[in-house]
Amino acid sequence: MDILAFLAQGFAVALEPQNLFLAFIGCVIGTLIGALPGLGPVNGVALMIPLSFNFGLPATGALILLVSVYYGCMYGGRISSIVLNIPGDEPAMMTTLDGYPMALQGRGGEALGLSAVASFAGAAVATLGLALFAPLLVQFAIRFGPAEYFALFVLAFATIGGVTGGSLVKSFIAALLGLLLGSVGIDAVSGVPRYTFGLYELYDGIDFIVALVGLFAISECLIYLEDIRGTSRPALRLGSAMPGVRSAGRCAPTIARGSLIGFVAGVLPGAGAALGSFLAYMLEKRWVGRDGRFGQGDPRGVAAPEAGNNAAAGGALIPMLSLGIPGSGTTAILLALLLSMNITPGPLLFEQQPEMVWGLVAALVIGNFVLLVLNVPLVSLFARVLLAPGWLLMPMVVMVAFVGVYSLNNSAFDLYMMLGFGVLGYVLRKLEIPTVPVVLGLLLGGQMEFNLRRAMAISGGDWSILWSSGISVGIYLFAVTLIVAGLVYAWMVRRRLR
Amino acid sequence: MSELLQDDAGRVPGVSGDRVAGALLLVLAVGAWWLSHDLESGFMQPIGPGEYPRLISLPLAALSLLLILRPGVNQRWPRRAALLRQALTLLVLASFAGLVKPLGFLPASLMTVVLLVRLFGASWRSALVSGAALALALYALFEFALGIPLPDMPGLDW
Repeated sequence: MDILAFLAQGFAVALEPQNLFLAFIGCVIGTLIGALPGLGPVNGVALMIPLSFNFGLPATGALILLVSVYYGCMYGGRISSIVLNIPGDEPAMMTTLDGYPMALQGRGGEALGLSAVASFAGAAVATLGLALFAPLLVQFAIRFGPAEYFALFVLAFATIGGVTGGSLVKSFIAALLGLLLGSVGIDAVSGVPRYTFGLYELYDGIDFIVALVGLFAISECLIYLEDIRGTSRPALRLGSAMPGVRSAGRCAPTIARGSLIGFVAGVLPGAGAALGSFLAYMLEKRWVGRDGRFGQGDPRGVAAPEAGNNAAAGGALIPMLSLGIPGSGTTAILLALLLSMNITPGPLLFEQQPEMVWGLVAALVIGNFVLLVLNVPLVSLFARVLLAPGWLLMPMVVMVAFVGVYSLNNSAFDLYMMLGFGVLGYVLRKLEIPTVPVVLGLLLGGQMEFNLRRAMAISGGDWSILWSSGISVGIYLFAVTLIVAGLVYAWMVRRRLR
Repeated sequence: MSELLQDDAGRVPGVSGDRVAGALLLVLAVGAWWLSHDLESGFMQPIGPGEYPRLISLPLAALSLLLILRPGVNQRWPRRAALLRQALTLLVLASFAGLVKPLGFLPASLMTVVLLVRLFGASWRSALVSGAALALALYALFEFALGIPLPDMPGLDW
């Protein structure tokens, strides 16, 4: 079996002392960032990118570090959900529903232990799926030409809003805004500067990292500043996390179902981890029926969404690595990292740099075990971080972001632009226009235009090449199906509410 | 799913907010369309550098109009006190960007961090203590742990 040989090679890469150390550090930092309310995987990975550039890490090492941070954030998000009833990040939202009631009943430790084991199982299922399915997808994608890739980009943008809820119009607007921002800079084909208004700083285009840290970290800090009086919460006795491991045994079927559902949700473009945990929770509630006490501290209500969101996080890596199309905000950032290191994910990556892909898979397996150890016996240490005052934590986050971005180019212009993007991100959030499509547009715009123009060069300016192959028509149909499904779903929800 | 994933408290009708945003985006789309006509190149290519921005600005204009006609919901906008705090924070951060090179990293970050901590709600006393500690920690992290040269103070080697 090829995959086993590749995996063995991957473990050889991941077990190199430097990579092992990076995976460990990434897991610790990720869990910490994830545990802080409001800071999720997108912020965590965005903060780490300038640092990993500064470290001068090789591509494999940087990717291992960031993906460990990503998995760590997914683990850490549950801690403040359970302890404070504040989701650490969006996917951890569902965990508050039963996690906090459990903590109120003095079973907080059990909930933390149980959710750690569920997270472990979800991530393990996703990593296995990644190893099995990504190569299959690659064999399919190797036949794609520029027209098919263009269709794939359309799919990514069409579905990013439709599936995750919110206004469809607003998420399309966000994506188009991102695409327009992405066209700033010197046009790679003709050498003509576009929308640079004579500012030579803009000739290279808008630096993706600058935009990203502004849109997420700076806008988060502005949101925090709206209400700085921290509400005091009752101190809860957490107790040991060990009973959670036993209760995970009783919840094993729940965890298995949640992992599978989450994995499928993660692989779908535009869905991401929030949908994974949502579906896992809702379907589990439906499955158990009247026997459950969901919403009042049912352990299954903690196990299902945690298995679901960690499985979705891993699943989302599949389209990112094998097609170069990110399915979520965080995977978009990982893609940006790869692109800026001159590595183009996609079918060729698996052929030309298998040691990188499989080293990553192996690092995920190792990281998952590290996270389990960190999150069962040592979870109370991380929970204690939540007690640190916000006036210390937030300036720390802002300054790390600020100095990190500054040190990339030693440019004050970058910092001003980052503040501009921070204000933009804040206003967009107030308008309920999602920021993730902006980032995706900014990131993917260049590739999308490149493929469009290559297709046009092949056809000699005949636009019909875009829909002349079966594969691209199939992709467009899939996009339409997902949008319609989203609309029908939203309509059904509204009707039930009435 | 929206009723579960989003917090309905703190949402307000977005009639004015969405309309202003829609109008601004419309201006942006029209401007991008307008400027793209200057972007023609003499190359023998089926589509030039202006085609793709036009392809984007068209649906952007259409959707902005839709947003003006049918506004949705917004999050609650900040009160005046919060707005002031946010503006001051941005000002402090912007002055860091301007001062870090002429003053050197340590003085600039010390000032910035102390003011930031204060703006985030700490007392002056704890702002001074934790600000100084944080500035030193940042210096140590970047200068020594990561090995990145930060701007030195004028006339000094650190």
